[in-house]
Amino acid sequence: MDTISEKHIQNSKSQIMMILILCVVTLLFAIFAMGWGSSSNLDLFTTMKILFGMESADELQSAIIWKLRFPRILMAIVGGAALATAGALMQGCLGNPLVSPLTLGVASGAALGAAFAIVLGFSIVASSDLAIVANAFLFSLIVVAIIIQLGNLRSITAESYILVGIAITFITGAIVSTMQYFATDAQLSQLAHWSFGSLSRPTLENALLVFFAVTGLMPLALKYAWDLNALSLGGDDFAISTGVDPASMRKQILILSALMTSVVIAFTGLIGFLGLAAPHMSRLIVGNDYRKLIPCSCVFGALLMLFADTVGRTLFAPVVIPVGIMLSVIGGPFFMYLLLKEKGVGH
Amino acid sequence: MSEILHVENLNFSWGENHVLKDACFSIGSNQIVAILGINGAGKSTLLKCINKILNPSSGEIYLTGNDVKNYNLAQLATKVSYVPQSVMTSFSMDVFDVVLLGRRPHLTWRISDKDRDLVSETLRYLGLEDFAFRRFDQLSGGERQRVIIAKAIAQDPSLILMDEPTSDLDLKNQIEVMKRMKEIVSDKDQSRSALIAIHDINIAARYADRILLLHEGKIIADGTPSDVLTEQNIAQVFGVTSSVIEKTKYKPLRVIIEDAIEN
Repeated sequence: MDTISEKHIQNSKSQIMMILILCVVTLLFAIFAMGWGSSSNLDLFTTMKILFGMESADELQSAIIWKLRFPRILMAIVGGAALATAGALMQGCLGNPLVSPLTLGVASGAALGAAFAIVLGFSIVASSDLAIVANAFLFSLIVVAIIIQLGNLRSITAESYILVGIAITFITGAIVSTMQYFATDAQLSQLAHWSFGSLSRPTLENALLVFFAVTGLMPLALKYAWDLNALSLGGDDFAISTGVDPASMRKQILILSALMTSVVIAFTGLIGFLGLAAPHMSRLIVGNDYRKLIPCSCVFGALLMLFADTVGRTLFAPVVIPVGIMLSVIGGPFFMYLLLKEKGVGH
Repeated sequence: MSEILHVENLNFSWGENHVLKDACFSIGSNQIVAILGINGAGKSTLLKCINKILNPSSGEIYLTGNDVKNYNLAQLATKVSYVPQSVMTSFSMDVFDVVLLGRRPHLTWRISDKDRDLVSETLRYLGLEDFAFRRFDQLSGGERQRVIIAKAIAQDPSLILMDEPTSDLDLKNQIEVMKRMKEIVSDKDQSRSALIAIHDINIAARYADRILLLHEGKIIADGTPSDVLTEQNIAQVFGVTSSVIEKTKYKPLRVIIEDAIEN
C-alpha cells in the first residue's frame, strides 16, 4: 500500500483510539458519579461495592442509587450526547461555527410551551406532572414544522434558516416576556428555574424514554457524515459537485437535530452552551471529518454534561446548581482556553 | 470518436437577464475544450448548468448519450467533476480528506484501500504529496486550486468541468496543471474530456483542442484555436486589438494583445 495511504490509515486509527478513550473515561466517570453525592449514608467506596455486587444495598441506598443518581446520570449522558451531536450536525449543514441547537428557535418554542403551562395553566395533557414537558415538546415540534415548511421552499439558503430561527426566538421571547410581566412571583420563579436547565427533574422513566429516542435517532446522524464533509468544506456548489443535494440534505439534518434537541430540552429545560462548544472541542480532538466528529461530539458532549452536573450537585452540596449554569461556568473558560491555544494566541 | 457531451439549445436566465442563449455544441472523447469570453459572458453559468448546480430555462444536455435530467446528483457526480473558481471553507480538513471527497460518489460509507491509493496517486501526480496532511485552509490560493483539481481527477469522471482553474496559479504551475490535464484527457484507454472556462487566451491556444468563443450568452465561434482566435473575433469579444502569430511546427499559436479599442 502507498505510504501516504498508510499514514492516512494511521491517523484514522489514532482518532478512533481517542474516541474510544473518551468512551472509557465517560464510563468510569459515570461509575464515579454514582458514588459521589451529599448523602452521608452512601460514600463512593460503598457505592462501588454495591454496584459491583460486593455488598447489598439497604432500601435508602438503593433508592439513592437507582431512583436519584442513575436517572440523573443517564439523562446527563444521553442529553449531552444528543445536544452535542445536534450542534455538530447543525454547524456542518448550515456552514456556520456560531450555530447551536438553539439557533433555529427550537428551544424558544419549548420555552413558550413551558410558559403556557406554568403561567396560563394551559396544557395539552391532563397530568400536571407532565404538563410542562408535554407543552415544551409540542411547541418545539411546531418550530420543527416551520423548519419543514421552510425546507420546501426552493430558494431557501443556510442563512435564511438562521435568520428565521432568530426571528422565531425574538417572537417567542416577546410572548414569554409578556407572560412573565403578568405572572405571579411563584410562576416567575418556576419559569426561571425551568429556563436554567436542570437534570433534577427527569425521572427514570423520562431518562429511559429520552435514551431510546436518542438511540434511535443517532445512527441517522452518521448516515449524513460524508455529505456533511462536502457541505461544510466547500458550500453548496462544491457539495453538488460531489453528488450531494444540499437543500434536501440540509432539511433532513435540521429536522433530525431539532428532534434530538426537542426531546432532551422538554425534560431538562434550556441547556444552550453544550451544543455550541462540545462540537468545537471535539474538532480539536479529531478534526472536521464528520465520520469521526459525530461520534466524538456524542461522547464528548456526554462527558461534559456529566462532569458539569456532577460538580454542580456536589460542589456546594446539598445545594444543587443547575447543569445549564455549570456548563457555562466550567465549559466557557475551558472552551476559550482551547480555542486560544489552537489559534496560537500569545506565541 | 464517442461523444461525451452534447448540449442543445441551452438557455439560462436570471430574471430578465438572458445569460445563455441557445447554446449548442458537442464534445468528443479525449479533448480539451476551452470556453473563452469576457466576464459575465456566461462561461461559469454554462458549466454550472451542465453540472446541475443551476437549472437551465430550456434546452437539453446529454452526457455519453443520456439526458442529464435522468441522473440524480450522486449519479451525475460519478460522470462529471467540477472545479469551481474558488472554495471558501467553513470547516477545513486535511488535504488528503479533501481529495478523498472526490471518491464520495463511488463510496457507500467505508473507504477501500483502492480509494485511498487512488487519492495518494493523484496527490503525487499533481506534486501535492508533501501537503497530504496539511490543513486545506492553511494553503495558499494556488495550492488550494491544485487540491481541488486533484479532487476532481480522483473523482474519475468522463467529463471534467473547470472554472478558471489557473487563475490563482503562478506561471510554472499554470503550465504544470494544464500539461497534466492534457495527459489525463489524452489517455486513449479512458474516454474522458475536459471543458475549461479560462481567461488566458494563450494558455487556451496552447492546450485546448477546441475553443468555444462565448459572447453575450451566444457561442459565436467553435473550432480549433487557429479557426477561432482571429484578430476580428478577439476584437469583437474582448474589445482589444491584437496580433495573432500562427502556430508553427515548434510553437503554438500566440496572441499578443496590443490595445483596448475605444468605443
